[in-house]
Amino acid sequence: MPNQPDSNNWPRWFDPRSRSLGTFGYILNRVTALGLTLYLMMHLVALGQLARGADAYDGFIALVKNPLFKLGELLVIAAGVIHGLNGIRIALNSFGIGVRRQKSTFITLMLIAVFIIVFFAFKMFSEG
Amino acid sequence: MRESLSPKRLEGSGRWLLKILTGLLIVIFLGIHFVVNHLVAPGGLLTYADVVAYFQNPIIVVMEISFLILVVIHSFLGLRSILLDLNPSPTVLRMANFVLVVIGTAAAIYGTWLALTIASRG
Amino acid sequence: MTNQPWQVQIKIQRQRAGEKPYVQAFALEVDPDEYVLDAVERIWAFHDRTLTYRHACHHSTCGACGMRVNGREKLTCITTIRSVTQNGGTIRIDPLRNFPVVSDLVVDMGDFFLRMNKSDFNSVAPDNAARLPYEHPKKLETQTEGEPERLVDCIECGLCISACPAANTDKEYVGPAVLAAIHLMYTQNPSQKLINQADDHSGLWRCHSAYECTEVCPSGVDPAWRIMDMRKTVFKDRVKSIIKPRLPEKKDA
Repeated sequence: MPNQPDSNNWPRWFDPRSRSLGTFGYILNRVTALGLTLYLMMHLVALGQLARGADAYDGFIALVKNPLFKLGELLVIAAGVIHGLNGIRIALNSFGIGVRRQKSTFITLMLIAVFIIVFFAFKMFSEG
Repeated sequence: MRESLSPKRLEGSGRWLLKILTGLLIVIFLGIHFVVNHLVAPGGLLTYADVVAYFQNPIIVVMEISFLILVVIHSFLGLRSILLDLNPSPTVLRMANFVLVVIGTAAAIYGTWLALTIASRG
Repeated sequence: MTNQPWQVQIKIQRQRAGEKPYVQAFALEVDPDEYVLDAVERIWAFHDRTLTYRHACHHSTCGACGMRVNGREKLTCITTIRSVTQNGGTIRIDPLRNFPVVSDLVVDMGDFFLRMNKSDFNSVAPDNAARLPYEHPKKLETQTEGEPERLVDCIECGLCISACPAANTDKEYVGPAVLAAIHLMYTQNPSQKLINQADDHSGLWRCHSAYECTEVCPSGVDPAWRIMDMRKTVFKDRVKSIIKPRLPEKKDA
């Protein structure tokens, strides 16, 4: 990779080596953003089954009850929670609020995120 | 020629503010969505009949449609911001703008149509 | 030497402009309380006279000796060997990122200095305007709240630009130091020119809150906070301009 700024250097966005906490927030935000956008498109296509009537949709729901899809669904929830909570920090920072407390804010928000994700994981996988 | 595009057409305070406002509304809507789907309607909206019944409430229809539009705006502005990080040529950026606007509008129209279709099946 | 000497291996990325980089290792006996820059100088003096690197003041004032030590941006004249390795250990030294490599550890910071100039940061009178007897420039009134800060001590070392993820891919992005300079100049002497410089896709809005700049800054400039405070200033200015449009700049609004 070139040493100077170059669009081919984009993998470095996701490289946390020799970086601090702020970069983890940045990487998490970017990865979840891309993942959620992909999910949005897939979700819209999948919900098209609704238009095709009860049988098509209920058949589709039966398919996504499989554990693999459930895991995917949990990933989407996790991404949404992380992106949303982290986004609150970035939005506040953008108005000059709490920039110097950004690390402790990040840790607090991510602990809340873990709590919510674990809650959903238990809920989803215990309902069977 | 970079000069041909004014900075504000690329990214500026207005667009950033829009991203933050849509983000904030999404967080609020998603909160309501989770509460409604997982607490008020236990087990969630898992059958076709459930979904149709859920969409009989006009507030829900309006909320779902606005939620979709907010998500599309937020995510596509975000994608564009990531693209701008790559320092695209004005031609590439113009093409990307076009593609994002077309797909975004199509998604919003499609989603609105879908929501109204389901609502009309009550 | 007051300490027991340490045996360390120093691995340096070598590169001639336009050629492929490679890594060269040097075995060195050092005092752990020496600085990384001392070790680099020793390599140049006793091992390889072709090694190129920048340095001048050796007391964190000139900003010339910024390098990446074990991947992290450091001002090598104030980074002790003890703080980056142990006896028998290895130190990896690379040039700063996000600047073109001129040779070995020397990077081309020309564009960066030009951008700093544009914000009128620390500008002094040109030679031909200087008059004797010399009059001290009037102290600028700062509007910063709280403790006075050492921002004017931005030594233009470029560490923040090397550490910034957005600067990895966008050569147009002016980077944290320049935005911090714009912020400082604005607090001293608010102008629409500075607002417009900051409110640009290559300015404030390329920052994605990784806050690495503040992390690596050796001078306590805190560019991340300044970028965010400048965003607040820009938002305020834009809202004001909607409520009360500025006539000569209506095109911009």
